[in-house]
Amino acid sequence: MKSLKNGILLIIACMGIQTAFAQVRSPLSVNVDYSIAQPLGSLKDYTDKTSFRGWSAGLQYHLNDRLSVGLRSGYQEFFQKLPRAVYHTDGGEISAVQTRTLQVVPLLATAQYQLAKPDAVVIPYVGLAAGAASMEYNKFYGEFSDKYNNWQFMASPEIGINIPFGKGSPLLFNASVQYMYSPYKMQEITSYNVVQANVGLRLHIN
Amino acid sequence: MSAMLGLAVSISSCSKDPLKDMTDEESRIYVTNRANGVDFTSYKTFSIADSVAVISNSGKNERALTDYDKKLIADVSAAMTARGYTLVGKSAKPDLAVNLTRIDNTYSAIYYDPGYWSGIGGYYDPFYWGYPGYGYFWPSYYQVYQRERAVSIDLIDLKNPKNNELVAIWNAMLRGSGVWDIANVDSMVTAVFAQSTYLTTSK
Repeated sequence: MKSLKNGILLIIACMGIQTAFAQVRSPLSVNVDYSIAQPLGSLKDYTDKTSFRGWSAGLQYHLNDRLSVGLRSGYQEFFQKLPRAVYHTDGGEISAVQTRTLQVVPLLATAQYQLAKPDAVVIPYVGLAAGAASMEYNKFYGEFSDKYNNWQFMASPEIGINIPFGKGSPLLFNASVQYMYSPYKMQEITSYNVVQANVGLRLHIN
Repeated sequence: MSAMLGLAVSISSCSKDPLKDMTDEESRIYVTNRANGVDFTSYKTFSIADSVAVISNSGKNERALTDYDKKLIADVSAAMTARGYTLVGKSAKPDLAVNLTRIDNTYSAIYYDPGYWSGIGGYYDPFYWGYPGYGYFWPSYYQVYQRERAVSIDLIDLKNPKNNELVAIWNAMLRGSGVWDIANVDSMVTAVFAQSTYLTTSK
């Protein structure tokens, strides 16, 4: 019996990187989160309202008990409507109700480091993400749109927790806070600074 | 990358439509432009066209005097008078001419700008203001570039023609939903004069 067990372990060991750590969960996980984002800095000059229209989703591959790498995307929309006002232009004035929107779609590579063993009740982690983001700036004067679409570099440090639904469960509750930064410049925006809170689920699939 | 862009497009489709809950009033914009270096206090008298030019990209151009047009003429005249300018007949050598134009760009999506429509039959030829053979000079362009109806109010300098051209010194463009609705004339004319504080005979 003992030799059989050793044999199984040996086979698993031969399967490569997955056996480099005590396997509580399969290494590949997917997460989907609802996101709320608060603009900071010059972004508040454009729209200072908290965005409740957002989500984030990603894949994470666990290299060992602590370290994982992955990809993440998502969507966040900032929206603000301003009452009619007169804006000064180069040669005159324009009276308009302004509707300001910014739609952000990041595509980021991520690295996360877990601060507890995979069998812990609560698994805190820290992360860093970097990549590019599609920024769709659309400022409406009345019904007339002034629209710009760019890709820009984006970086994001993150802290969060994963809480398994039972010991060894492949399904975990996820909550995190991210700081999103991008050197994005557009009219009144001199850089993109946002604190984003995410709540969702992580599922280990393979 | 194209797959990623496709993803971005589908993700964006869950966005809020900014125009969905917009009222006609909110949809309208009132754009004013002035020529550089013009001293508006140097003009004292004005005359206004006796009808409104209607230019359309369907090719039908005319002058009209509907109830809307009468109200527009009356409101702009009253606003100019309130700023100190004296209304005189066009034969009394006014300092300023006021041209009024309704633009119907709904027929197709080609754009219009004053440099173009001032050569169109419906628009007031400088001949009307006593300057046969002259053209108009527009210091900047105010384009109507989508399918829409708009209204243009132009102030033309009749005192200082340059190189056989009458110079436009001020333009107000009313754009958005309901600009051809008579109920909105008062508020629209009030708005363009209110935002052009320099348009006065006194400093």
